[in-house]
Amino acid sequence: MIQNFLSMNGYGLFVWGSFVITFVACGLLYYRTHKTLKKYEREFAKEINELSFERKKIVIENSKIASQVLSSFSKTI
Amino acid sequence: MFKILNLSNIFYWIEKLIGFINSVFFILLLVALSFALIFSPPDYLQGDSVRIMYVHVPSAWIGLASFSSISILSIAHFIFKIKNIRLITKSIAPIGLMFTCLALVTGSIWGQPTWGTWWVWDARITSMFILALFYVGFISTHKLIANENKANKISSIIAIIGLINIPIIKYSVDWWNTLHQPASIKLIGESSIHSSMLMPLLLMFFVFILYCALIFLMKYKTEIIKIKKKNIKRI
Repeated sequence: MIQNFLSMNGYGLFVWGSFVITFVACGLLYYRTHKTLKKYEREFAKEINELSFERKKIVIENSKIASQVLSSFSKTI
Repeated sequence: MFKILNLSNIFYWIEKLIGFINSVFFILLLVALSFALIFSPPDYLQGDSVRIMYVHVPSAWIGLASFSSISILSIAHFIFKIKNIRLITKSIAPIGLMFTCLALVTGSIWGQPTWGTWWVWDARITSMFILALFYVGFISTHKLIANENKANKISSIIAIIGLINIPIIKYSVDWWNTLHQPASIKLIGESSIHSSMLMPLLLMFFVFILYCALIFLMKYKTEIIKIKKKNIKRI
């Protein structure tokens, strides 16, 4: 039964090949996108942390995004 | 009303949506794959090779829909000059390119057992290939041109010209003699596909849409952070 399922009546290579290619491509795009996002979050958080205390306070008070990135970044450390 | 379009609010909702999609995605994927690979019946003519349809057709639909959205948004950008639109089109393009390439590759794999050939330059396949080239043009404009305004203008022109190709792809099977079969699923009129195959197809399409939403949100979030990074340097 498992062999029948894998062979797909002789079309296994075509069917499984299509599904594998699709999911590998999707996985790679997800990995690349996630990696780029984390890289920019890290760089952004680093730039905020490098600001002087007063400037950092201004940035965090005026930008919800900055405070969100900083808090999520500190969670991952 | 416009408060909701504020980048900070959008950023907040992106976080929530990413969390939600991540929580339901794998369950839905398992259900859709079970229907596509196990429960749906083989075709009376094509046998089990018809299962390739469950990845090929949603990929083609997403490739077409993504480029149509990019083109329409590019027209809107020309008229209204809303900066946010550029972030959206830039985030959609890589998803559209990947799914267009997947439609071409899986279509080619499906072609071998069905037509006896991997590739043929017929109207449908050629017009899909041209669509992939439009995507490459759109994405490489942003990568290669440093001047943002110039890159936006050129990429918008590419997207608007590429819009002409969309009806050509859609009606290529009706206008010319092609190896590709005519559409089995119609929005207006009766579809010729049986419900036992239509349901897994729609399920797979829904899962792919969720995946696209996830990638789009992550890319859009990255674009917002890039803008905020630039703004910080101005302080």
